[in-house]
Amino acid sequence: MHNSKYPISLVCGILLLFWIAILIMGAPFLTPFDPLEQNSSLRLEKPSLTHPLGTDRYGRDVLSRTLHGGRTTLISSVLALSSTLFIGLIVGLVAGMYHRSIIDTILMRVIDVLLAFPFMVLAMVIATLFGTSFIHLLIAVVSVWWISFARLTRSVVLQAKNDTSIAAATVLGAKRYVIMFQELLPKAVGPVLVLATFELGSLILSISALSFLGLGSQPPTPEWGSMLADGRDHFFQAPHILLGPTLFIMLTVLAFNLIGEGLRDWFDPNEITKF
Amino acid sequence: MILQVENLHVSYRKNFHSSEILNNISFELKKGEILALLGESGSGKSTLAKALTGLLPPSAHIGSGTLHIGSTLVKDLGSTSIQWDKIRGRMLSMIFQDAQQAFNPLLTMKENFKEILLYHGIASSAEVIPVSTRLLRMLNFQDVNSILHSYPFQLSGGMCQRICLALSLCLKPTVLIADEPTSALDTINQIEVLNLMKKMQKEFDLTVLLITHDIAVANAISDRVIVLNKGVIVEEGDTNTVLTNPKAPYTRKLLLSRSLIAKGSRDSEHLQSNVPILEIIQLEKTFSHKKRVLQEVNLTLHKQEIIGIIGQSGCGKSTLAKCITGLEAPSRGRILYRGTDISRLQGKEKREVCKHIQLVFQDARASLNPRRTALELVQEPLRYLKIGKKNEKKVIAEYYLNEVGLHTELHNRRPPQLSTGQCQRIAIARALVLKPEILICDEAVSALDMRVQSQILLLLQRLHKQFEFSILIISHDIRVVRSFCHKIAVMKDGSFCEIRNAGSLLDKTKQSYTQILLKSANEIEGNLTLLEEVEDDDYKYS
Repeated sequence: MHNSKYPISLVCGILLLFWIAILIMGAPFLTPFDPLEQNSSLRLEKPSLTHPLGTDRYGRDVLSRTLHGGRTTLISSVLALSSTLFIGLIVGLVAGMYHRSIIDTILMRVIDVLLAFPFMVLAMVIATLFGTSFIHLLIAVVSVWWISFARLTRSVVLQAKNDTSIAAATVLGAKRYVIMFQELLPKAVGPVLVLATFELGSLILSISALSFLGLGSQPPTPEWGSMLADGRDHFFQAPHILLGPTLFIMLTVLAFNLIGEGLRDWFDPNEITKF
Repeated sequence: MILQVENLHVSYRKNFHSSEILNNISFELKKGEILALLGESGSGKSTLAKALTGLLPPSAHIGSGTLHIGSTLVKDLGSTSIQWDKIRGRMLSMIFQDAQQAFNPLLTMKENFKEILLYHGIASSAEVIPVSTRLLRMLNFQDVNSILHSYPFQLSGGMCQRICLALSLCLKPTVLIADEPTSALDTINQIEVLNLMKKMQKEFDLTVLLITHDIAVANAISDRVIVLNKGVIVEEGDTNTVLTNPKAPYTRKLLLSRSLIAKGSRDSEHLQSNVPILEIIQLEKTFSHKKRVLQEVNLTLHKQEIIGIIGQSGCGKSTLAKCITGLEAPSRGRILYRGTDISRLQGKEKREVCKHIQLVFQDARASLNPRRTALELVQEPLRYLKIGKKNEKKVIAEYYLNEVGLHTELHNRRPPQLSTGQCQRIAIARALVLKPEILICDEAVSALDMRVQSQILLLLQRLHKQFEFSILIISHDIRVVRSFCHKIAVMKDGSFCEIRNAGSLLDKTKQSYTQILLKSANEIEGNLTLLEEVEDDDYKYS
């Protein structure tokens, strides 16, 4: 296996994510119950053959809800993460490249302001101003989340800018944007991806917290984060209803962590000989 | 017998492969002796030092090996239960190549001394200053008080290395291991460190294991020498005998490369052209709020001329190279390329000049993007300046890679898979691809082994004849430069104190600074003789 062209962790992560995606996309065919169908006679049922993960407080099948709910959670978190990564990398690159210029100063002050501003309050302001929808949820998350990526990218760029290879590229006649995107960007991708895999877990939870506040998906639409929030109230009576969403969040974060680690190895030039 | 190593086997494990680094190493050290361990990079000499001090990384595996030091016996160097804190410091002390990095940058020298003296219980905190002062005085340090109150980065590399020596000495170690202690230093500092080591050995009866790739250094201070090649001891004996009458073919090869550098080529002395191609006029560079780095620098480089710029580290040589190539903007003065001032160009015009003036860096590996193959690296400048079509670029790159002697099967490898010498060849090919008229080599061979150094220098010389460009060789080592250049410019404190024809510099110089440089170079070289015959396959490609 170690002779394969790609890092093992990358292959495993992608496979795992693939299976999670299959389960979630195939939810309508795989699950026998409607995730929204309530049944007051089956409240907080224990796991059984008909309901493998039991039922929640309205008697809805937890397995069906978990698989259906994954769609909202996964799509929103992946979309949010990729747009934050994109914005963060670009802003960080520009700020690092034009260090100590007016552009850098403006960008960094904007970041300072956003850092000082409570995330939830900003999200609620957006919700009240523009109304609640999936797009507004994404805007709320992305508008705050990119700053950590931008800061990290900037610090990597500031360090890498003094490398001999960058001086060499300059002497060889490379233009500024060539240096930015071909020389500096690959150096920043590794650390940024590591940070991204860490952030994914908390991103999923924040998205569900926003749903809880009324931004994004509304009850009774299933969503992992809100299912967790619901289940918390019945933790002592029926802990099993937390099992589904917990397990899936865990597996998803694991898959992304593996992918992140694999990509980092893949981008690390000193590891190239390995594969 | 004060130190005895027997049957040492060390291998590195990487991705289920294990490669043998040291194979059955056994040697002995007598009290008061300096033993030089001579070998190229990759021969396993640093691994040996690390194995003896328990500093090997986890990927290394010690197969077997016993260490007998003083009255202590370590039966199995690979075992995890060795109490290294009892051995390190008091018995085995070690100094490293980069002394500045070896110090804690947050502590002054006084605090560094204090840490060592208190940890090993040699002095109480009240005695720290008197003890360290006495020690430094004994070792001929001037201005001891200000040294003790400075931070490592405020002192030069040579000074730091000497203080490292003093520090290791205050523990009165049984054996001192010095891993390339002078490789990062210029000749003047080199000779100071070597002299101090000799003095210490005499006065304190110190036993030293000196690890070096430089034959001259081994010759200058060692009593006995062990030659290491690919983890095996190929020759062992009295320094004088081994270096004047080598038995092993490998030792002969090492000595030969030195001779090649020293002899250089005689035909380089005749230069016909007197067309000035680069003129530096009254150049001055001041970094903000700091002192002047360059002042009143004047230099004229003619077509096809090779000028060597020498000087101690920190004298401004590299800043000059950066100013010429546009990496730094000069504060005052002009740099004329074929009559036009290039010192303040921006954007497109600046990139246009890149075609004519190219730079080769000291650290070849760092100057190459590790993600690209050799072939892609050499195409970089063509891509940046949009020269040629896709197929043409590849053909051009292949041509230059072949010219610098990189075999076709290596063209698709990346820098991490290549040796430093091969990386430097790629860097040279990449600089030549644009057909520059001026090639600036900023310490381009300083980081290389003597053997690779001679190969690269011969390569540069051949390319110079073939492509007819001018070269500025910047070096801190007069030994490297003197036989390859038409002219030598000696730089001191940011300006040239002497510019002379290479042949006459040696005999006629009246400048005291040049004399010091020459003297220290000669002192290191000592009485080493030069080998005559050339019989080495490795030079076929240079």
